[in-house]
Amino acid sequence: VPDLQPADDVLLSSLAARDLGALATLYDRYGRLAYSLAYRILGESEAAEDVVQDAFLSAWRGAATYRRDRGNPRAWLLSIVHHRAVDILRRKTTFRPAPLELAEALPSDDDTALAAEKNVEHRTVREVLETLPQAQRKTIELAYFGGYTHVELSELMGVPLGTVKGRMRIGLQKMRRALERTR
Amino acid sequence: MTEHVQDELEAYALGALDRADAERVAEHLGVCGACRHEAAALAEVVGTLPDTVAPREPTPALRDRILAIAGADIRPLLPAPSRRWSFGSVRPTRVAFAGLLAAVIVLGAADLDAYQRTTAIASQRDQLYGLLESMRQGGREWYMAGKDSFAGAGGTLYDPRAEGKQPFVLFHDLPQIAADKVLTIWLISPDSTWARAATFGPNGQDIQAVRINMEVTGFDRCAVTLEGSSWGPRYGAVVMESRIAPPATQQ
Repeated sequence: VPDLQPADDVLLSSLAARDLGALATLYDRYGRLAYSLAYRILGESEAAEDVVQDAFLSAWRGAATYRRDRGNPRAWLLSIVHHRAVDILRRKTTFRPAPLELAEALPSDDDTALAAEKNVEHRTVREVLETLPQAQRKTIELAYFGGYTHVELSELMGVPLGTVKGRMRIGLQKMRRALERTR
Repeated sequence: MTEHVQDELEAYALGALDRADAERVAEHLGVCGACRHEAAALAEVVGTLPDTVAPREPTPALRDRILAIAGADIRPLLPAPSRRWSFGSVRPTRVAFAGLLAAVIVLGAADLDAYQRTTAIASQRDQLYGLLESMRQGGREWYMAGKDSFAGAGGTLYDPRAEGKQPFVLFHDLPQIAADKVLTIWLISPDSTWARAATFGPNGQDIQAVRINMEVTGFDRCAVTLEGSSWGPRYGAVVMESRIAPPATQQ
């Protein structure tokens, strides 16, 4: 039997051709990661499953509009999951920003680092993230997992908006360089 | 061109802009290659952040639900199928049923003789028991006779009546195929859309069951082709096929 593991780009082309098998493979490849991300943001299994379902069906219906120059298929799919989850989080959060201590606690998993350590690739990303100064790491984590806008983070952290932007920029630049070195 | 947005690309990549700002940045990315290139690079970095999250398992039903909804997208809009089961166009599959039963018995005997020496045999036997139980509970079935190099082989598409039971095809006497080929089961809608339902290779056994991950309702033909790829549209030769009763003929 020939290769049963097509590249993500091939899968998206097959999705655009209405190939359900490709959707099944894409789900098998990223469903767990997508769910883990949605759960991390929302903290509820039912809502997280709804987000994942919505994201995969969006990919299924919108595969023909996917453009490689806007990121790889994995990043594209996870960005859909992320946007959907953050949208829900922002709608249901009635008081923002929360006190910083609470905001830091909300999106955390006690076992995040331990579980992520089990996978070499994940460990690398985790290590890269942990090399960042705490202010940069917290800014990135609260923005991405906590769903805070940069304006809200400015208020939450008590620093100027320019500082928040700077932390995001420098933090992501460091991550980019570190990840490039590992590839 | 709109004003460059480098100052906001990191927040955009992290999803940390409010809706109005995010739309403004997206509009600019649509017309600015330089910013789009930078945004794509940032998106790939941000795309690694999920790797830091503790892995969690969704319920198995989520996968089925997604595939069922997606499958409904590619089926034509047809009247709801009758709840009456029609067997007018159905060929009985006593041979297949007997073959499956025999396979279960043989595997059971082998298991006893070997005193459960392999979990693989037990697993295969359990799977066949499950399929046998599905057949006992009734359903619709259609036989596909092999042709050309597949003459003498065949397969029965079985759509179990029981709630939550997955359709499957029970093949018999499949010949071996070239190492660079696969067999693909297709469901074909009345507007001639071919939906790939499963891809597999013959396992060398007399009887082979292959589950399919789509509902049968809404399709009016099934076929098996010999393909050079596990993905993409159909190119290969049809080696077996059958009409399957469309809803309109079930009244």
